Amino acid sequence: MKHLARQFRRFLLYKRTLALGLLCIPISSAADLWLTILVGDALDDLRTASNADFLKGLFFLMLGVAFVRGVFRFYQRWWIVGVSRYVENDLKQALFDKLLALPLSFHHKNRSGDLVSRITSDVENIRMFLGPGLMYTLGAMCMLPLAIGTMVTLNAPLASAVVVPLLVMGCGMWLLSPRLQKHSLAVQESISDISQRAQETFAGIRIVKGYAREEQQTAKFDAASRETYRHQVELAKARGFSSAITWGSKDFTYLPILLIGGWSMIDRGFEAGDLFKFVDLTFKVFWPIIAVGWLAGVFPRAKVSAQRVQELLDAPLEIDDPAAPRELANVRGHFRLTDVAFTYPGAARPTLERITFEVRPGEVVGIVGATGSGKSTLLNLFARLYDADGRLELDGVPVKELRLATLRGAVGYVPQDSFLFSATWRENVGFGSERPLDDAELARLAELACMTDEVARFPNGYDQTIGERGVTLSGGQRQRTCIARALAKDPTVLILDDSLSAVDTETETALVRHLKSAGRGRTVILSAHRLSTVRHADRIVVLDGGRIQAIGTHDELVARDGWYSSTWARQQAQEELAEL
Amino acid sequence: MTAWRKPTVEPEDHLDEIPVPKSFDGSLFKRLIAEARPHARLFVGAYAVLLGLFLLELAGPWILRGAIDGPVTQALALRERHADAFESKGFVRELWIWASLYVGCALATLIFRYLEVAHITRTGQAVIADLRARLFRHIQSLDLAWFDKRPTGQLVTRVTSDVENLSEMVTTGLCTLAFDVVKVVVAVAILFFLHWKLALLVSISLPVLIGVSLFFRGGARDAHRLVRARLARTNGYLQEVLSGIRVVQVFRREERVSGRFASLLARYLEANMRTIFLFALALPALDFVVNAIQGATVWTGGIEILGQRMSYGLFLQFWFYVKLLTNPLQELGERYNVLQSAFASAERVFGVIDTKPTLLPSAPNVARANAAPPEPFRGHVRFENVSFSYVEGVEVLSDVTFEIPPGATVAVVGATGAGKSTLVNLLLRFYEPTSGRITVDGIDLREWDLGVLRRRFGLVLQEDFLFAGTVRENLVMGRDEIDDEVLAEALEASRAERVVASLSGGLDSPVAERGATLSTGERQLLAIARALAGRPELVILDEATASVDSTTEARIEEAQQSLLSERSALVIAHRLSTVRRADQILVMHRGRIRERGRHQELLRQRGIYARLHTLQFAEA
Repeated sequence: MKHLARQFRRFLLYKRTLALGLLCIPISSAADLWLTILVGDALDDLRTASNADFLKGLFFLMLGVAFVRGVFRFYQRWWIVGVSRYVENDLKQALFDKLLALPLSFHHKNRSGDLVSRITSDVENIRMFLGPGLMYTLGAMCMLPLAIGTMVTLNAPLASAVVVPLLVMGCGMWLLSPRLQKHSLAVQESISDISQRAQETFAGIRIVKGYAREEQQTAKFDAASRETYRHQVELAKARGFSSAITWGSKDFTYLPILLIGGWSMIDRGFEAGDLFKFVDLTFKVFWPIIAVGWLAGVFPRAKVSAQRVQELLDAPLEIDDPAAPRELANVRGHFRLTDVAFTYPGAARPTLERITFEVRPGEVVGIVGATGSGKSTLLNLFARLYDADGRLELDGVPVKELRLATLRGAVGYVPQDSFLFSATWRENVGFGSERPLDDAELARLAELACMTDEVARFPNGYDQTIGERGVTLSGGQRQRTCIARALAKDPTVLILDDSLSAVDTETETALVRHLKSAGRGRTVILSAHRLSTVRHADRIVVLDGGRIQAIGTHDELVARDGWYSSTWARQQAQEELAEL
Repeated sequence: MTAWRKPTVEPEDHLDEIPVPKSFDGSLFKRLIAEARPHARLFVGAYAVLLGLFLLELAGPWILRGAIDGPVTQALALRERHADAFESKGFVRELWIWASLYVGCALATLIFRYLEVAHITRTGQAVIADLRARLFRHIQSLDLAWFDKRPTGQLVTRVTSDVENLSEMVTTGLCTLAFDVVKVVVAVAILFFLHWKLALLVSISLPVLIGVSLFFRGGARDAHRLVRARLARTNGYLQEVLSGIRVVQVFRREERVSGRFASLLARYLEANMRTIFLFALALPALDFVVNAIQGATVWTGGIEILGQRMSYGLFLQFWFYVKLLTNPLQELGERYNVLQSAFASAERVFGVIDTKPTLLPSAPNVARANAAPPEPFRGHVRFENVSFSYVEGVEVLSDVTFEIPPGATVAVVGATGAGKSTLVNLLLRFYEPTSGRITVDGIDLREWDLGVLRRRFGLVLQEDFLFAGTVRENLVMGRDEIDDEVLAEALEASRAERVVASLSGGLDSPVAERGATLSTGERQLLAIARALAGRPELVILDEATASVDSTTEARIEEAQQSLLSERSALVIAHRLSTVRRADQILVMHRGRIRERGRHQELLRQRGIYARLHTLQFAEA
């Protein structure tokens, strides 16, 4: 409840619009009521009227009232539901900005699916409850007293007899809603079961066919399918009950109207018009009561959603500027690691241990090692994507004491997964630059990334959309686009996380040369599986199980027996084979 | 006048294209009716429920009229004339009769309202449950080439949400909407019967209501689609940014990314506001049309009442019947939209059902295939000048000829992409050779009954795929002939007993999705046990390349030896021990067999095999 209230504050940013919208509710409710009274009174007047002239006036009055009601209903919905959509966007933006600020360790822990569902379905649950939910509740709170008040003034005993079935219905809906929820959950689960069966069969179709297992899979699928059918039927029964309760209680409100109303007419001159009012008003209080029942049903969900959203908004920013951040006037790109270690949160063993080495300004340093030896983790530490234990300094200042903007501003990064946005090539490369890039600059970057010819072949040149919605780039093209993006930043230190694996050897050599020479003595740190990538590096660090196994130049390492020399021999053999 | 800032919206781009909706398609309905035929009784029940409900809906206002025009009006008239001697008892008794009639109707309505939802939903679900099963069976029978072209997620959607969607065609289309038409026609007829002048007035205004309803339908549908498309873009961007969060953070582009998200949100908001506008307009507009019809009814009805040509009771009855008529028409637009999306799903589902598998035993050969397969099965395989291409023009295998004599092991080696797995795919008849032929025990693969043949194979693939279920189920794989004894033997021979023993529930321990609870090595051992359990005559083994610790490695080697001994086998080899023991090694390079022979012979040749040997088998 507390969390929902906090989210409601976001609605108050639009209090003027919201107030206007809320103001419309009593007006449209009153107009609605008036319509019933108009018809009822006309029926009464017919008894005493001498001619039908007043009916014409009544018709136009009804049109007028109906129009007014329509206008206010329009604004009521437009303003209230509209505000709820604005709030939805504000909340989504706030959550998004928070996610951008949270450190990698947070993203490592939380599956992206869960985070996305907080921004999508949780926000929607909150919006539905606080926006349209509020509108329906207030509508009911206006309509109910008005209608019931009118009925009481007409015939108090009848009014109380009418209210009883309505209350029964309200309670019935409230009692049924857990059952409805239970069954709809069961349906969802059984559908996901079906989907899992289908998933495994279709994904493992080779085994299924290879073992002639079609019949068994069909039998299992049928069982899951029958289960869904069973749950669907159960859910339909629960929905049937709620439908029967809703409609039934409406039908039963007519019973006292018929009986008590009829009796009153016979005995005490209760008018036919009044009878009509009762019947029509019953119709009109009916929907607001259902809406409130529905709202009570979605309340628990909204509450949980508000809590989940708040959790995310309150998540601590572990990696942030220190209290007194230090600046560097001119970053030289001199990293020094002393006894650095790192353990992923929740992991039993450290991923990196006792890492000590130095990257001098203008050097090219290669990091190699088997899969899982800790190369990527090590590279992530330089830009403080994770905080390492031990001592990691840039130009003599511990990175934790530096202003984050200073540190990251000096570093260019090419990720292992060649992450690119589904956007144009220009936008992707421009992502690295503070300002929009003109064609001349793009041409230079394409040249440096050895992509000039390929970009020229794009149907839309620099403005070619890439990714799912545009042209699909090959692995090598993706890697080189990422490199162009990193170069657009003109960083002092460039970090490449196995980012040349899909580039052919010839291009690779040219690229490494460009990376180094394009800046004035840029520091380059690169990891690689293919050793030819780091062959010309000033120094090569060989990692093994999170520790440094050896450091040296290519020639030194090849001369020594060990992982490096044997891997080099195998890779050379592979190259030769490929050329046969 | 709005009191909020207007969303700033970028100009439209081509990415917001709205897919063209599927409009009414009679042929899809015909297909559906054919599917629904076995459930004809359920449909009869559904129509009976709808009919009963309609009659009950008609009964309520009729009773009201009876009570008012009967005892109430008579009593009022009598009291006006003889106020002193008025005795209400008789009239009240008559009123009670009407009231009890009403209670009867109301109770019956309770049951019918329940059935309306429960039975009709059940009807729809019964139809789609059959369809879903058939669809699944059918998809399974399709060629692997068909699977290759489609992401698994898309296929799963066919048997889940598309089929669920299709149920709307049954419930909304065949039941509700079809009966709504009947309801409207009958209600109009009754109105004419009750009072033709008033009925004429109402029926000429109905087209206006239908028009307004359908007018908003189009707009609402497009607006909804736009909302969905833009929401999908927003969520897509969100996913994208989350997967590239380190790039965003290292490049310090949080603000730019946030701004981009804001502009996507603004466009989503704009689409939402358009939808809200339409709905805010449509609902009151429809109400207004209904109110106008009601107003006209009061006006004309009033004149008729005054002229003594209409009773109060009749007027009330008429009034409520008009409501009965306008409700389905007000919902017409909404129902139509639901139906439209069901049509799109139906088209996709029937599209899959209409795809025919091509790799069935061809018709003239069925007789032969079903005739008793040659006994005993010896497992003698021949590839004769086999060529194959997945994509036309790109040959993956060229003119491959070799033989696996009964009981011999043939190992295939070669670099990635040399065509090794294609050999396996062809032998399993997942694909058909482009030219040449493959025979097993002298019979062309195309003439074998696939089920019979594949049961002779012991299959161990790279992906060592395990299904959700128990360990036992994964080993038995539905082969009835495998009893506990056979299973125990297989486990022993495959060195997998210890794997099973280490599980708390033994053979009946559950295996999570894709065997996630087991280690790579354990999965490999179980895959070998699975193949052994079938006592296969011909083994197809694609050795796993994933690295395992040396103890497990030794166990896998032993397991493989027992699997390969005294059986014909085609092995894609990654292990030195396998190639050393093989009766023949085929060296594949770019789709051709370049060298063949035994291990030592090939090494001496100093050709491709010698290089591969350093590459793959030399100890690091």
